[in-house]
Amino acid sequence: MDKALLGSILKTVEKPSRYTGGELNMRVKELTAPDGKKLFRFALCFPDVYEIGMSHLGSRIVYNVLNEREDTYCERAFAPWFDMENAMRENDIPSYSLETLTPLGEFDIIGFSLLYEMCYTNILTLLDLAGIPLFSRDRGEEYPLIIAGGPCVCNPEPVADIMDALVFGDGEEVMNEFMDVYSACRAEKLTKRETLLRLAQIKGVYIPAFYSPEYDENGNFKELVKTEASAPDRIERRIVKDLDKAVYTGKLIVPYMSIVHDRVALEIFRGCTRGCRFCQAGFIYRPVREREMGTVIKQADDSLDCTGYDEISLFSLSSGDYSHIHELVPLILDRYEKDRVSVSLPSLRIDSFLKDDLEKIQKVRKTGLTFAPEAGTQRLRDVINKGVSEEDLLRSVHDAFVAGWHGVKLYFMIGLPTETDEDVLGIAELARKVSREFYSMPKELRGKGLRCTVSASTFVPKPFTPFQWEPQISTEEVLRRQALLRNALKGIRGVEFSCHYSETSRLEAAFARGDRRLNPVLVSAFKAGAKLDSWDEHFNKLAWEHAFVENGLTVEQFANRRIGIDEPLAWNRMDALVSPDYLVKEHEKAYEAVTTRDCRKGCNGCFGARCREICGKKDGAV
Amino acid sequence: MRLAVKFKKGVPVRFVSHLDVQRLFHRAFRRAKLPLAYSQGFNPHPLVSFAAALSVGMTSDGEYLDVILTEGMTPEEFRSRLDPVLPEGVEIVSVMDLGESKKSLTSAMRTASYTANVLFDADVSQEAVSSAITGLLSGEIVVMKKTKGGIKPTDIRPMVIELDLVSLAERNAVFKLKGVLSAEGGLNPDMLLAELYKKLGVSGASEVNRDEIEMDIDSLLA
Ligand code: SF4
Repeated sequence: MDKALLGSILKTVEKPSRYTGGELNMRVKELTAPDGKKLFRFALCFPDVYEIGMSHLGSRIVYNVLNEREDTYCERAFAPWFDMENAMRENDIPSYSLETLTPLGEFDIIGFSLLYEMCYTNILTLLDLAGIPLFSRDRGEEYPLIIAGGPCVCNPEPVADIMDALVFGDGEEVMNEFMDVYSACRAEKLTKRETLLRLAQIKGVYIPAFYSPEYDENGNFKELVKTEASAPDRIERRIVKDLDKAVYTGKLIVPYMSIVHDRVALEIFRGCTRGCRFCQAGFIYRPVREREMGTVIKQADDSLDCTGYDEISLFSLSSGDYSHIHELVPLILDRYEKDRVSVSLPSLRIDSFLKDDLEKIQKVRKTGLTFAPEAGTQRLRDVINKGVSEEDLLRSVHDAFVAGWHGVKLYFMIGLPTETDEDVLGIAELARKVSREFYSMPKELRGKGLRCTVSASTFVPKPFTPFQWEPQISTEEVLRRQALLRNALKGIRGVEFSCHYSETSRLEAAFARGDRRLNPVLVSAFKAGAKLDSWDEHFNKLAWEHAFVENGLTVEQFANRRIGIDEPLAWNRMDALVSPDYLVKEHEKAYEAVTTRDCRKGCNGCFGARCREICGKKDGAV
Repeated sequence: MRLAVKFKKGVPVRFVSHLDVQRLFHRAFRRAKLPLAYSQGFNPHPLVSFAAALSVGMTSDGEYLDVILTEGMTPEEFRSRLDPVLPEGVEIVSVMDLGESKKSLTSAMRTASYTANVLFDADVSQEAVSSAITGLLSGEIVVMKKTKGGIKPTDIRPMVIELDLVSLAERNAVFKLKGVLSAEGGLNPDMLLAELYKKLGVSGASEVNRDEIEMDIDSLLA
């Protein structure tokens, strides 16, 4: 890498510290071990810009897991912003790692974190800038192994032609197994194909090339035919049973520039017991596994010490559900009060967090409060199994107002299955009640003016949820319902509506549930200029439209089609552990508006016959 | 107590913005567990201030900050705690006790000197460069400058104290620059160099180091 050239380019781009590396606690390793062996070089790529990628806890963990290995040096790479990409192309600078400024093409393995579908074109940008062919079939022995992990691996098909291998589930253990097998294959000088055959034997590893898709006469997905006898029938999601024993982030890298989550993130538990039916995370991270308070505190001590951060965030899908939350929060507040460390609790559920705790958080930091009722009427909340009643919500906002808050955000979704206009108008009704709650309080008890933001996103059906078969509503219908809501919210005191139609939610739906035919679509869109698609203001609508047309497909056929319950699903080879029957049953209950209890209160049998094995619960108990 | 810290900003951190350098030090002070004093009010922040901002991309051998501590300690002790926790590229040069002084470091700044390594995109002769410098310094140097009232033509000649060619080999030139630097502002070396390139009819890429900020320390301690 020509450092002088890079230096002169960095003078011309926005936020150059995205591209320099060299941060505090960045891992530095000799490329050759004391015994003379070369280290395996692993480029962990987050296909979005630095400040987003560095905010991802899972990637931080994998970085540490790999670097704990003596035989591996894991470095980082992120997608360049538009200006940097242009400059790189003009000056023939390949995509490179931040640790040693090594071109990605020189790595042994390139691993991508797939957090959301709209990052897929950025994978192509990184590969293309490195001069690496996009499709796995075009890459010979001279190219790195291209792999991926992260929640999008639930349905790997839309990137199956690009990846050599994908890893499904928690990375802490499987990445070590992966490297062990890889290392053995290298020692035996195996070919890429032989290596993939071996890797396929690891539980949780998917080798797309060993399965070939077939489609029916209507152009719908039919099946993935195994082309390699030794490949597994199903790829089981990996779970780490004991988070207290699992490797965590180690010495956290401290970015120079401010990043999205610029604080110490402490994962207090993984998984969620609530079972909201639209929520993929709620199903694909089951079962719940908590960290002991002692582990959390130790990780807090270590992370604060080596970073100098002054904020901790207790991270999970639903912080209020942590068994010891009412002990942990005060404990942490007391422990670090003199050091002026503040604590934030994202993903707080309105029914699990009440007055006392509100006061405690407020003591330290008065950030905005968010509530996510998701739907406007009780009926629809029952359909989606969001176990939150209007009374819960109103009581919680009341408590928040008394505690001095006057800004609240209410999150909703538009287009949920069975939604009617009445449900949409229900959102406005709820907002009206929140406003009334505020203004009916005596002036001296509440803040000056209410700032209640209602935001409504578009429902996206996701694999491994009870709504995986549901269509997304059409663009016209989304716009109509948004207008309906906007109108109904007019004139409510202190309430603001924040919502914009985003073309990307339709694409997200297509890529969430799409099959392997989307690979060429993705490449066409990339070639037509699509990049950084999750940045709405830069979304290249034309490139995507062109890409679907060019490949004789439509977004609608993936995003807006109802899939029959008995139809084969494109992600059939993946086994997220939750049993397919359970999802069918949950789907039926949704249509009956029957709720399912939080499984902390009793097992619902989500893993079917495997409940005991996976979760320690009795077999299939309901 | 109040301490002044002189530090180097090296190549590894030259693209770290001024705001981010401030945060970098806040975090380093916290890692070093130094007894920082905080401001009062709604959003307390550590009482640390920087003498001058350095342009993104520049390195420096002598930047200044001051910090207020709630407990007394010798400059040596302060330094020995801070040194080990600094990121690569940031180095303490010296630490000085400011006693009871309340005056800002900014008020003590007088001038700054720079070394610029320039790579021209075409051949130029020693004579051409020398006469361009003489020409440039002989009259007003009007540049478009961002001011509070928008982008305006401004004469930067009064800010320039020195501009010398140190060496020229092929297309590589080294210049020494010295300019005013005070609370009201200072010379932007790249702006001056850009005017020089114009005079020479070439373009150039520069790497600039701030060698020294001249401080009137006595004015602080007085
Ligand atoms: S097996 Fe039972 S307790 Fe365990 S996650 Fe599933 S429903 Fe919950």
